[in-house]
Amino acid sequence: MLLHPASVPGTRQEFSWFLSSQRLLLLCLVTLVSVVHAELPAPDSTEVELGRRIYMEGVSASGAPLQGNRANSGQIEGAAAACETCHRRSGMGSLEGNVVVTPITGNFLFATEENRPIALVDQRAPKNISRAHAPYTEASLAKAIREGINVSGRKLSPLMPQYALTDVEIKAVAAYLKRLSAKLSPGVGEDTLHFATIVTPGVDPKAREVMVNMMRAAFSQRNATQENYSGRMRMPIDLIPRTLRNWQLSVWELQGAPETWGAQLAEKYRQEPVFAVISGLSNGSWTPVHNFCQQEKLPCLLPNVTSPPAETAFYSLYYSRGVALEADVLARHLRNQEKKAPQRVLQIYRDDELGKGAAEALTKSLHDSGIQVENRVLQGQDPSGLKQALKGVSSKDAVMLWLNPTDLAALKKAAPKQVPAIAYVSGFLAEESYSVVPKKWNAHTRVVYPYELGEKRQKNAQSLKKWLQTWNLPLVNEALQTEVFFNLLFLTDLTSQMLDNLYRDYMIERAEDMLSLGSNVSAYPHLSMARGQRFASKGAYIARLAKDGKLVADSEWIVP
Amino acid sequence: MVHCNQMHDLMGKWIAQTLFCCAILVSSTPLMAEEMNKVAEFNRSVANYEVPKLTVVRNDGQKLPFIKELDDGRPVIMNFIFASCSAICPMITHVFAKVQSKLETDSQKVHLVSISIDPENDTPTKLSEYAKKFGAGPNWNYYTGTVETSIAIQKAFNAYRGDKMNHASLILMRAAPGKPWLRLEGFVSPDTVVNEYHNMMQQAVVK
Repeated sequence: MLLHPASVPGTRQEFSWFLSSQRLLLLCLVTLVSVVHAELPAPDSTEVELGRRIYMEGVSASGAPLQGNRANSGQIEGAAAACETCHRRSGMGSLEGNVVVTPITGNFLFATEENRPIALVDQRAPKNISRAHAPYTEASLAKAIREGINVSGRKLSPLMPQYALTDVEIKAVAAYLKRLSAKLSPGVGEDTLHFATIVTPGVDPKAREVMVNMMRAAFSQRNATQENYSGRMRMPIDLIPRTLRNWQLSVWELQGAPETWGAQLAEKYRQEPVFAVISGLSNGSWTPVHNFCQQEKLPCLLPNVTSPPAETAFYSLYYSRGVALEADVLARHLRNQEKKAPQRVLQIYRDDELGKGAAEALTKSLHDSGIQVENRVLQGQDPSGLKQALKGVSSKDAVMLWLNPTDLAALKKAAPKQVPAIAYVSGFLAEESYSVVPKKWNAHTRVVYPYELGEKRQKNAQSLKKWLQTWNLPLVNEALQTEVFFNLLFLTDLTSQMLDNLYRDYMIERAEDMLSLGSNVSAYPHLSMARGQRFASKGAYIARLAKDGKLVADSEWIVP
Repeated sequence: MVHCNQMHDLMGKWIAQTLFCCAILVSSTPLMAEEMNKVAEFNRSVANYEVPKLTVVRNDGQKLPFIKELDDGRPVIMNFIFASCSAICPMITHVFAKVQSKLETDSQKVHLVSISIDPENDTPTKLSEYAKKFGAGPNWNYYTGTVETSIAIQKAFNAYRGDKMNHASLILMRAAPGKPWLRLEGFVSPDTVVNEYHNMMQQAVVK
């Protein structure tokens, strides 16, 4: 039989029509089921709300604190007894030590074996996937909750408390679980997973370019291996079935004043809903982005920012507290010197959100220390501004320079003859440009340095350097690029271990639990997070300039 | 990260300990074995550990030699926790709280020692808040320090599992300096801890 050329794509189309007709049928069935469901009494919003309060807050129907009883350790109540404590906000469970808390969303509990999704309950052992069991009913759920006996008739872990819930409360919990992580999050397509990165105005174009290029390279590298996926079997985790989704990257460039960013982000998000925001650049404000991510329940993972908002939020994870951390480290360092501490610290900063934030943090941190803090705002663009700011500095003073490389460069011309006792430089802001320090000042200069030093740093950065060579990408800013690189590797781990359970809350929970297990290719000595923690690196060194110009630690790793 | 060889060592130690634990189970009194059967979720063993010479920070902010804190003559009951841990730690801390109140009238004041395995996050202030939440009294102290210190202490007591997310539910107790440590690994009820403690103290007097 001769095939008409047009019939070739036609066949595909027919095939896809067949698929879509199947889908249509499924959709009809689902609609039918939901119609049938709708005819059943309840699950009204008050029922779901009651379920939510039990699950999330540990508040029972009467409004009294939820009471739970553990065979081994007795009574717990209220928030400590809430389901969310172990099963987490997403309902996808958690892992601590050898205790695996399994997913309990409706998709897992009430589904038949054929329809039940797969979850990797222990990332350390890919064979540990969610177990087979008969679908739960309200009656078997009640037995599990009240008596600690699961649907297969086995005893639940002693960690699972028993709750004397009423029938109404059991129904409410079941209704809540059916709605919990029921649908894939926005940004998850049939064969794509959409991410964005955000660039705020005023960042160094070179930094922007290298970040975006690294992300694009990593995305295409990841998508290329995805295409060969069926033949891939490098790790046991590869054998667990999942939907193949290509990663897509949108670069959201913000313009104008920070007050307008929220609206810009909302518009970009409306056009392209993304699953998560990965990395991102700002050398000033980040608060509008942070607020937007919280408002949209959008994970915002590890942006490259020096001044994240002090108030933490569920959906934003950061490498560190930035300049506020440096301020606390410096204050701790100065306080530790006791009588030898300088009597006065002159801090020089720009009158912007970043500068003011840093200065306020140091003032607050040195409150009641007996060390006087004097603020000097840097004005203008030429060295005379810095000269003015350094006026009257004495050999007994310490100086804190909250300055970026451009402003620091004025130091050679602006430095007064009188060398201060110690001049501290912000490691985050100076971006390794210590050669601008006048020779006379060298021995008196210390850097509040939030990264690792020496050989260990070299070792951690090695894989980034090799990877950059492979992709023919430049090394412009090592600290920044290691942050981006770590984030890309972490994202790969995170999404591959989530399998098809692409829920944003689950992503944040996995990130909290797994960050410290990731290979540390960053510039930080160690990164660690846990439930509720939002800053991965928690300390800094005080470093001095060696004769060869390199930085060496002058203190232990200080965790304020 | 735990190196492969170390992992091997750990496994070896673990197997040895499990075997040792079985031996104890067999040799202990019938009552004891029955009790174990009821709550068979934990392993019991006895071991000697060398306390490392390190400086720790107590939750009141004081820097102290760890060895002095353990060797002040009091009996010690010790666990490993971190404040952001939501499932296991609240339970083992809850067990400690119950043990504290059950041993309150005991003539020999036991020293309850909780060591953070997430020391950079668990600052003295955070640990004090955590202690307060669980009603820790004057004989219950929390300790933090550098990451290296915490790891060294965990390693010294064979409690290091490579990362805080791998930590096990573990209680260690010792009657007095120089005596062996009793190790209870798994989910242990407050009553079991108190019984084990009383047995240990009695045996220490007999010997």
